[in-house]
Amino acid sequence: MTMTTEAAPAPVPATVEPPAEKQTWREWFDRLRLTNYGLLLVAAFVGSLVLFAIIAAVKGANPFDVLNSMANTITNTHSLQQDLILTVPIGLAAMAVAIPARAGLVNVGGEGQIIVGMVAAAGVGLHISDGVPGAVDWILMGLAGAVGGAVWAGISGLLRTLLGANEAVTTLLMNFLAADVLLYLILSPWRASSAGQNESPPLPAHAVLPKIPGTDMHWGVVVAGVAVVLAWWLLQKTSWGFALRVVGGNGEAARRSGLKVKVLLLSSMLVGGAFAGLGGALHFAGVEAQLRPDTTATYGYIAFLASFLGRGKPVLVVISAFIFSAITLSGPNLESDIGGLPKTIVNVLLALVVAAPLVVAKYRRKSS
Amino acid sequence: MNPIEEALAGGVGLGTAILFPALGELISERAGVVNLGTEGAMLGGALGSVVVTIETGNVWLGLLVGIICGAAASAIHGWLTIRRKADQLASGLVLWFLVLGMTSTFGADYNNQPVNAMTKVAIPGLSKIPWVGPILFDHEILVYVGYVAVAAIWYVFYRTRAGLALRATGERPDVVATTGGRPQLVQFLAVTIGGAFAGLGGAFFANVVASSWTENLTHGYGFVAVAVVLFAAWRPLWVLGGSFLFGIALNLPYVLQAHQVQLNQALLDALPYLVTLLALAALARRGGADAPEELGKALNRSSA
Repeated sequence: MTMTTEAAPAPVPATVEPPAEKQTWREWFDRLRLTNYGLLLVAAFVGSLVLFAIIAAVKGANPFDVLNSMANTITNTHSLQQDLILTVPIGLAAMAVAIPARAGLVNVGGEGQIIVGMVAAAGVGLHISDGVPGAVDWILMGLAGAVGGAVWAGISGLLRTLLGANEAVTTLLMNFLAADVLLYLILSPWRASSAGQNESPPLPAHAVLPKIPGTDMHWGVVVAGVAVVLAWWLLQKTSWGFALRVVGGNGEAARRSGLKVKVLLLSSMLVGGAFAGLGGALHFAGVEAQLRPDTTATYGYIAFLASFLGRGKPVLVVISAFIFSAITLSGPNLESDIGGLPKTIVNVLLALVVAAPLVVAKYRRKSS
Repeated sequence: MNPIEEALAGGVGLGTAILFPALGELISERAGVVNLGTEGAMLGGALGSVVVTIETGNVWLGLLVGIICGAAASAIHGWLTIRRKADQLASGLVLWFLVLGMTSTFGADYNNQPVNAMTKVAIPGLSKIPWVGPILFDHEILVYVGYVAVAAIWYVFYRTRAGLALRATGERPDVVATTGGRPQLVQFLAVTIGGAFAGLGGAFFANVVASSWTENLTHGYGFVAVAVVLFAAWRPLWVLGGSFLFGIALNLPYVLQAHQVQLNQALLDALPYLVTLLALAALARRGGADAPEELGKALNRSSA
């Protein structure tokens, strides 16, 4: 007995919609993910801003005043320039997270690497390069900062490659050690003799990075911009950057294909640390010009979050770092504009902004 | 008390502020979840306990609220990492920033208001033992709670089904799932209970060590607790030892100052971090083998 094709029921089109009444809202939501992750992400960011405004309102502030005050951080050229200036240490320290991350390493030590970069630049600027012309001084300070940051990250890199110590934890501990090194220096050997407070003497005027003509920004902003392009080029266009990605993807495969895995891991930490250290040096030479106990104010941790938000891709990371700089700078404005709000309230917004993609991550396609 | 006893006894007191969050982190990490937000859970516990203690005058009610605040904070981390599969390290830092901002905002009214410090209760008999007594048995009740907690956690880990489920989840959640267990639930409970311990640690810090609230009160103790757990290679008794070692090192500058010994404070501050770093380096090979397998995936992204 044979069956004829005519007897078979008409095939149901594969794309048919299930009956509408059986759809729960959750199914509808799941369906949405295929096309509209971007929309969801924007909604999540807006949601985090709304939630932040609500929290400020609970504290007794008018949420519209709060948003208005914060908007001032991005709506005029003066504050945009301030944002860019702060993006220097945060953005470069974020590169220090993104570069080792390509090889699968977790660098939570941006904070310490920035501090050591500052300390190294201060050492050169305050104690070595007396009487050298400004330009040489600036280059020396920048180099010293980069070397300092590289050494600091390199210690964790060595502990990882030689002994197998977990780099996420050692970089975290190195942050506290760096803070203690800074404190040690300003408590005694580098303490300004006249100062009542624990701080170093200020950098001599000729050693401070000059401003770009016509702007409020120091030249370090340009240097940092070049450095970011360099980071992008290293990661995306060189065989080194490609090798890092191979190691990060599958270390065993990388080893079998002849890559020097340990050298690559260590070099990613050294290069990353150099970026953070340069960021610290530029921020010191361009803005701070003096070592104080809490100079960095968690910039290194903010950088980690910026790199996470930017998914380790240099362009996205820098954009994230810029946004976070603006949020950070809106803190002091809030404090002075609106009574009863401390400047640290913006940490809540930072956290909510980073949490936003986590909340909608389920709806993101694996391929992107 | 002679100066050495004084230094060690003070170290035990300060070490308890690390012991509680470290025990919490231990529980969480044994289930395979690392929680850098322990620092945040401590801050939440500290402020929660201070506010309630000041408003009600009841320090025990304050402690309870501190514990609840810590648990609630860490539950956020649990939700993000377990349900949303978020990166554990990033989520932990997110939690820290969130609580840091929240506590500085809502704690501003309570800055530097003194809280009734808990009084010391010497344990009759035990506190009279030379050396051991004054160092270990002449403290606030919470310090003794810490001893009991270590013993209880050891017992639960190694002598109960719940402990077995917890440890199995930290090693192979897929196996736990196929044998009918609920690894996600175990992890969420572990992270939340861990947060409760961190909250208690924060409350202890605020009520006993600092006797007041200030912004960013715990300044890194939660991160130290994370390091102590690694240093201790995930063993409860070692966590106790590591916490007290840290406490003693952190307490040393104050003792020396009190005895007019002039030393650069930063050098002493650096000591515990240096010791931990060296210990981690020395024990790295063995410690790595002891690590819960699932935790390794979160901490070691690089397979190289």
